[in-house]
Amino acid sequence: MTRRDSMLATLTAALALSALPWLMSDFALALTLTCLMYAGLAVSWAMFCGATNYLSLATAAFFGMGAYVTAWGADGLPYGVAVLLGGLTAAAFAALVGAAVLHLRGAYFAVITFGLGELVRHAITYYEKAYAGTVGRVIAEPPEAIPIYFAVLLLTALAVLAALAVRSSRLGLALRGIGSDEERARTLGVNTRREKIVAFSLSAFFAGALGAAMAVRWTYIDPLTVFNPFIGFQTVLIAMVGGAHTILGPIVSALLFSLLTEFLRLQFPYLFLSLLGLLLILLVLYLPGGLASLIDRWRLGARWRRWKTDA
Amino acid sequence: MAFWFELVATGLITGGIYALVALGLNLQYGLMRIMNISHGEFLMLGAYLTWLGHTVLGVNPLAFLPAVALALFVLGVAVYWLCFRRIVRTAPAVEVIEARSLLVGFGLLFLVQNAAYLMWGADLRGYSFLAEPIEIGGARLMANRLVIFAFAVGASLLLLALLRWTLIGKAVRAMMQSPVGAQLVGIDTRVLHPLVFGLGLAMAGVAGALLSMVYEISPGMGEPYTVTALIVIVLGGLGSALGSLLGGFLLGLVEAFGMHFTSLSLKMLLSYAVLIGVLLARPKGLFAR
Amino acid sequence: MREALLSAKGVSVRFGGLLAVDAVDLDVHAGEMVGVIGPNGAGKTTFFHALSGVLVPTAGRIVVAGDDLTGKPAHAYALHGVARTFQTPRVFKDMTAVQNVRFGLEFAGRTRQHAHDAFDDPVAILDFLGLAGAASVPAGGLTPSRQRLLEIGMALGARPRVLLLDEVAAGLTHAEVDATAQLIRRVRDELGLAVVWIEHAVRVLMNYVERVAVLHQGAKIADGDARAVARDAAVIEAYLGEDGASQRRVA
Repeated sequence: MTRRDSMLATLTAALALSALPWLMSDFALALTLTCLMYAGLAVSWAMFCGATNYLSLATAAFFGMGAYVTAWGADGLPYGVAVLLGGLTAAAFAALVGAAVLHLRGAYFAVITFGLGELVRHAITYYEKAYAGTVGRVIAEPPEAIPIYFAVLLLTALAVLAALAVRSSRLGLALRGIGSDEERARTLGVNTRREKIVAFSLSAFFAGALGAAMAVRWTYIDPLTVFNPFIGFQTVLIAMVGGAHTILGPIVSALLFSLLTEFLRLQFPYLFLSLLGLLLILLVLYLPGGLASLIDRWRLGARWRRWKTDA
Repeated sequence: MAFWFELVATGLITGGIYALVALGLNLQYGLMRIMNISHGEFLMLGAYLTWLGHTVLGVNPLAFLPAVALALFVLGVAVYWLCFRRIVRTAPAVEVIEARSLLVGFGLLFLVQNAAYLMWGADLRGYSFLAEPIEIGGARLMANRLVIFAFAVGASLLLLALLRWTLIGKAVRAMMQSPVGAQLVGIDTRVLHPLVFGLGLAMAGVAGALLSMVYEISPGMGEPYTVTALIVIVLGGLGSALGSLLGGFLLGLVEAFGMHFTSLSLKMLLSYAVLIGVLLARPKGLFAR
Repeated sequence: MREALLSAKGVSVRFGGLLAVDAVDLDVHAGEMVGVIGPNGAGKTTFFHALSGVLVPTAGRIVVAGDDLTGKPAHAYALHGVARTFQTPRVFKDMTAVQNVRFGLEFAGRTRQHAHDAFDDPVAILDFLGLAGAASVPAGGLTPSRQRLLEIGMALGARPRVLLLDEVAAGLTHAEVDATAQLIRRVRDELGLAVVWIEHAVRVLMNYVERVAVLHQGAKIADGDARAVARDAAVIEAYLGEDGASQRRVA
């Protein structure tokens, strides 16, 4: 599919999905919302991590930051502005962190982003207690279900469009070069540090904006609820199962997982999470390219490798 | 005066544990480029094993230490064979080994932590051991803390001695310096890798066992230690066992003093600030040559 | 004396206790083809790493077309027109050959013009190298010798002024080496490049370059006309037991 076709397909799908609130029950809508959120998170995660093979575990931190932007702006700040601000805050934070640690080995980067969730959580807990004198916050007048739905739908559609745009741009090419052989890319003129920071920030924007958008679904917000490591884990798993090098893969995978999660997680939380952990291990060991690579191989037979390399 | 002594002691005691955990991770990553993000979970397992040993079997936790070390060592070898060996064998490049083992480690984290939640629940558990204060020069320190400090340092020094003076230790150091050269001389990675991996987890387990003697335990207790271990490795220099020991103490002291002058909840911010500081100023580590 | 396109002044690279490159001076001018030879471990590749910004020299300066690039990151060197190949070919395995060549054009080559438009098209570059048939093949699927050629293509894609070639002749037959060398000569002639060529197979190199620099244990022990260097006593001694003995017979 050409880029233009893919983008048109995305817009069409978004348009079609926007009719759902009037066709679905509240429960089904909530499910769709979760599904869209994970699709947005997974696609934006894969935008940076899929191409470069860097493992960012900072999704939970960005998501939580965005949620707190909404919480802090709850009285006074219009919902749309809060969402935008949440995204921008996360992006700015990502740029800062990225400038500090993206030039390090991938392993260091992964562990450092892993700790970011806890770090931000502790910082916000401290700030809330010391300066705001509170533990949690209440969102007194949350928006209706429909504006929330549209916000998330819009963000996810934008994330997909952004991923498509990046993939066929110079930035995308640079990222693929970085993922393939970073030093080689440098000797061919890529300012790897700058490109990584840009892509990392872009990816963080969506995580933060989605956090800000979804925050209103919890009427009571406190650091523990909002900085939930499961969101980060689920994002990575969904992207990996779908195929982090693709855009459609994480979207389809998000659909599958949201359905699974809703039913199983609340019933058997610990067992479910353990099995998900096991799933990730098996996936990385035996099918690192995710479902997308499986489909490639089945559909195209001998031509699958050539297809895989098309821009 | 006594107060400062207590503060320093607290820092060193915490630091000793940090050093122990960092040493294990340092060995694994330095040798195999495997950064095991679930490292802290095995610390947690060591804690729970000791707790079980004490509350169910009535064994003295100190006497139980070798058992914990052995159990975690065996577990480590098994984990390596099941999860990481395939990556090392099939990856086309070192960066791929690193990337894939990070993901596997992430999955392991969720697997092990939630399995623990499943088995033992989320409630805090614990037992009391040597919880009597001892007076040293006017300062009051809990006996159990002194004991775990002694054992943490002892275990670390044992490992350092192992690396320096035994044949296996020399093989490990040789491999870390030059993988190809070491193999040419006949050092077998198929034996060495699982051995070192097991050793690393054993050390984490011992650290957890020691912690259980002083603190309450929960399935989530191990996670922060993984990040701290990385910070210690950065401080002390990758591949330097002595650096991990000294770096651990340093971080412990910085945290103890920092928390006293600012606030308890800013501990992580402090550690990250130290990390960024060292990365900017001396990327090879404070103690690197 | 025209200005050197690439100038290394007193470049040293130290790894802990090992001095891999020892105060090497080298000036390369546009249109020149300079060979760099030396026994194994002489520091040739490390020197290249310094010349391309991959390693920062412990001492000395590197000046490219009048600009001092010492200490700058590798992409700065690439943007200034320094392109290189590696001892073991480093191509982007998952991208096709065409995409590999296009990569350089998109980044390092973006800010410069080639003296010859023919080298602006990735397909033309592949054609020139005899790889036209492999254009849509993933680079990882090419044989090592074809990957070496592709690397030259990638370097050309970066529209270089200076071309650093690291052992491009390794593993090739005499005929293949000859063809490759002719190729490089043509590129040098048409584009006015400065070419620096490391080769371990000394005999090969001597036939194609005008000037040769010899490294031994990190230091430069000779620099000049190819034939004169071949007869230099110090050079022969450095190679004693390897090519040196047979070189003496030839000379």
